[in-house]
Order: sequence, then structure tokens, then C-alpha cells
Amino acid sequence: MAQTLRRRLLKGAAAAVAAPYVITARSQETLIVNTQGGEYQELVERVVIRPFEKKFGVKVIHDATGTASQDYAKIRASRGAPGFDVAGLLTPPEVILGVKEGMLEKLSEREVPNLRHLWDKTWQVIPPGSGAPHTLQYAALVYHKEKLERPRSWDDYWEPQKKYGDKVKGHVIQYNPANLLSVYALIHAAQLGKGGVDNMEPAWQRLKAQKSYVGVVVTGSAEAVPHFENGQVWISPYWSARSGYYIDRGLPFEMIIPEEGVIGLFDVACVPVGAKNKKLAYEFLNWRLDPAIQREWALAYFSSPTRPGVELPAKFAASQLTTQEQIARTQFPDSDVIGARRKDWTLKWQEIMG
Amino acid sequence: MAAPLALLLLFFALPNALLLSASFVKSEAQQLTHELTLENYQFLFTRPLYIWAFVRTFIVGVSVGLIDVVLGYPLAYFLVRTRSRWKGVLIALALAPLLASVVVRTYGWYIILNRFGVANDLLLALGAIDERIAFMPSTGAIVIGLAHALLPYTVLTIMGSLQGINPNLELAAMSLGANRVRTFFDVVLPLSFPGIAGGFILSFSIAISAYATPAILGGPATQVMATAIYGFMTQLLDWSIGAALAVILVVCAVALAYVAARIGARQGAL
Repeated sequence: MAQTLRRRLLKGAAAAVAAPYVITARSQETLIVNTQGGEYQELVERVVIRPFEKKFGVKVIHDATGTASQDYAKIRASRGAPGFDVAGLLTPPEVILGVKEGMLEKLSEREVPNLRHLWDKTWQVIPPGSGAPHTLQYAALVYHKEKLERPRSWDDYWEPQKKYGDKVKGHVIQYNPANLLSVYALIHAAQLGKGGVDNMEPAWQRLKAQKSYVGVVVTGSAEAVPHFENGQVWISPYWSARSGYYIDRGLPFEMIIPEEGVIGLFDVACVPVGAKNKKLAYEFLNWRLDPAIQREWALAYFSSPTRPGVELPAKFAASQLTTQEQIARTQFPDSDVIGARRKDWTLKWQEIMG
Repeated sequence: MAAPLALLLLFFALPNALLLSASFVKSEAQQLTHELTLENYQFLFTRPLYIWAFVRTFIVGVSVGLIDVVLGYPLAYFLVRTRSRWKGVLIALALAPLLASVVVRTYGWYIILNRFGVANDLLLALGAIDERIAFMPSTGAIVIGLAHALLPYTVLTIMGSLQGINPNLELAAMSLGANRVRTFFDVVLPLSFPGIAGGFILSFSIAISAYATPAILGGPATQVMATAIYGFMTQLLDWSIGAALAVILVVCAVALAYVAARIGARQGAL
């Protein structure tokens, strides 16, 4: 009798503990979205995720961990079921690999109607229907405006002693080619010597020459921020969006587009093949491409919209890619080639920097 | 008995078997193929960069093991033998670094060792140097960071061994005419050898597989095997070479730890 009573009590207690979760799961649809942490987390939650929850009456769990390649590694390791429904922040090399390996859902305008409004060049950068590119930015050149004169060319970063002399020694930063930012900067270095993705030799020559001026070497872009803040780094290639964000918050840096131009980067949201809530994931991708959300996001993250016709203040738009002509002028190197050669480039970079 | 063994097999042997099989599969443009190959090992053993990462890993492991034993032994000896009423507090203080995350402790070293850090400021102020020195990224910085992080483990292991020595053996040696120094070298030190070997193996094993400290103090240009494996697996997405590196690390670490354990056991038995 006592045992039966104890069992009943235990069952009752267990039901009481589990009830809120069971009720929530049944009454509200849930979507799990992966992006990244840092300043991005607060922005994406405020500008994109909370309004989405409000509009659709759903709950979004935000998994703010990992970089693009780490997130793709999770998708691959779990054979397309990484535990999140939206891989919100992949870059073209991972998207292309994801399509080849069959890890990402193929999208059409039926599931994501706003795909039809993207820039014409979009599907030259990533395979058609492989994802929803929601953010456009570029690898800019940033410099400490209290320490250095304004640079004009990528050469002012790659051969800093020519313009700035020995005072710049120890204040130049290098990034591991595991970071796409490094790859893009190396491509610019190759192009300065009439090379390119098919001939990176001029880039290696410039890297060797620059080495003695390098004071900081990092992999992730976020790792560079403390070095900007403590005044150790004076000149660096850096993503335009993050640069704008930190400069707006008082970092004594300025961002420029060097005379040789810049390389653009799409941030892409994709749906892994094993996602549990694909229907809501498609709604989320469509939401990211909605013109109002595109505008709010561009203003919050200091990035460019991925579709034409998004009205932005003129002063803000001056540092962004907002016209067909600007998009056409922006370089988008073949990410398939980058993916295939990145290992060799990383090896070469490590041999020189090691 | 059967359940723990099954768990061990499931969560240790099986992933390692998968890793081993992946290391013999060819990878093309970041994708695993179905072709068996030895190219991944050939790639690693013919590139000076990875041979150096391998050598650096074991230099770091052995250096950290030796430094921690040399620094940890006197501390462990003192903590075991002291009769101070503060003994408990002193032991807690010696182990206190374990309360902070290894990342936090490593960033402490970063603040000290970087080109514009405390060490350079101090040396410049003292007039010992004219130009700032790049203490890091370097193998030395990795060794310092890891030796500091792993010292408590070595101290704990050696303390365990010293506590197990019967104090009467020392008294007996001294009653037969040996002074304190001779008693220490002829009695205490040989009897505590299993603890020394254990402390060395522990810090060596953790040091060669450590990721955070080498990543912060060595950076991407001063690779050890753990950072190289991480790079191949999650940044370059080349799992075949990442798996081959991991296999080499596991095999060498187990072999060296086995040799060290045998030497420790033999010395302890003498």
C-alpha cells in the first residue's frame, strides 16, 4: 500500500516537472536556428528572430555557436541532422560543398518566394537554390586613423614599410587562410603581382616580405577585435560589416575600399537535409529576404542587402554595395576553386609564417 | 563489469576505429571518396610543416612533463611533510589554479608575453632590452602556459606517492648514519618514483593533446598536432588528413606513455 502511494507520488511529481515542457512543445511550434555569437547574436535576435517569432507565433531557439566551417563540419558529421533546422551563417565554400555532398536542401521559389528578388549575380556565386543569401559584405581595408595616414591600395597593407616605414613594425595583422578573409586578402596580393587564384606566387612573395612587420597572427575575425581595441594592430583587411559596427561604437579606425576594388561575400542561410522543421525553416529563410527585414538588418549590421530596391539612407549606402553596377564591379572569386585549393594555400601560408 | 566495458568500447574504441578507417580513405576537394590510400600519411610525413608540428608536440609534452616534475616535486614534498597548521590552506592554494578555466589562465600568460605585454614593458623599463621581443607566438610560450596549467596535476600525483612512504624507513636510514640529504636521495626519491612517473605521464599526456593553450600562445603559425587536427577537421574540412594526424598522435602518445610507465614501474620496484 505504502509502495503504491509512493509510486503515485513519484509519478505525480514527474508529471508536474515535465508538464511545462510537454505543454510548450505541443502548443508552440519550435525552430532551431544556428548563427554565431558575439555582437552578431544580440543583433540577429533583436532584428530578425524576435520579430519572426512575433509574426508567426512560434518559438525560435537560437544556437549562437561556431563559425561557418565549424557549423558545416557539424552538418557533415551528423549526416545532415546537426540538431538545428537552419544553418544561418554559411559562406559560399561551405554551401557549394554542402550541395556536392547532398547535405543541404534544394530550395525553389515555391518554398522561398523571395529568392526571385535576389541580385542577378547571386547564382553565379553559389549553386541556384542552394540557400538564401541574406547578407552582403566585402573584405575592406581598415586602419588606425590616429596612427597611420589613410591607405589607398592593398599594397599599403601588403608592403606597409613602403608607405609607413618602420613605425608600423609589429602592428600588422595576418589571418590564417582557414578564414576566408585571409584567402581574399591573399588573392588581392596575388593580383597586385598580376597573379590570381590560378597563380598565387606573387601573394607568397608579398607574405614573405610582410612577415617581419606582422605582430599579430589569428584565425578568426572576432579574435582580431581585442588587438584593434588595445592599439596593437594598425592596419588590417576586415569584413566591412563588422568594421562598420565597431567603428560606429568608437573604435578609432576607418574603413576604405582600396583603389584595386574589393571581394564580396554572401552570408547564406541553408536548411540541412535532416532538419526537423523544414516548413518553418523555409518561412525563416523567406523572412530574412523580406525587404523590410533586409533594410533593418543592413542598418543594424552595417551590411548590404542581397536584393535590389531596399531603400537606405544615402550616407549609409555610400559605403555599401547597393546598385547593379557596384555588384557587377565587385569580385566574387570561384568558391569551388577556393575550396579545392585552400588546403594547399594554408600549407604554403603556414610554411612561410611558421 | 560488462556494462562499463561495453560503454568504453562504444565511446572510445568505436570512434577510434572510425578515425583509423577514415585515415586510409582518399579525400578529394574536401570530400571523402571510397578509395583506400596511404597518401594521407605520406602527405604528413613528407611535409616539414607537419613533421615539425609532430616534433614540436613531443618537445612540448616532454618539456612540460619535466618542468612540472622539477617544480612540483619540492612543492609536493613540502606540502606532505609540513606540520604547519595552515597545511590544508597551503594545499588548497597549490591547487587553486584548477579553479580557473585553462583559457583564462592562458590569457593571463598572453597579457604577460605578447609583444606589447607586461614582460616587454618590464624589460624595457629596466633597460635590459632596446627593442620589444616577440616572446609569442612560440613553442616556449606554449611550454610556459601548459607547465603552469598542469602543475597542480603533477603535485597531486607526487603527493599521493610521498604520502604512501612509511616515515619509519627514513628514521631507520638516519639511525644507521645517513644524513637528511642521503636519506632523501637513497630512500625517499626512489620510493616516490612511481609518483614522479605518474606525474610526468599525466602532464605529458595532457600537454600533447592540449588545444586551447597552443592555439592562444602558439597561434596558427606555431602548430602542434592538436591545433593541426582541429584545422583539418573543422576549418579545411579535410577529414582524411585530420584523421591520419589524430591516429599518429594517439599511437605515439600511447606508446610513449607505456614506455614511461614501464620505466616508472621498474624504478619503483628497485
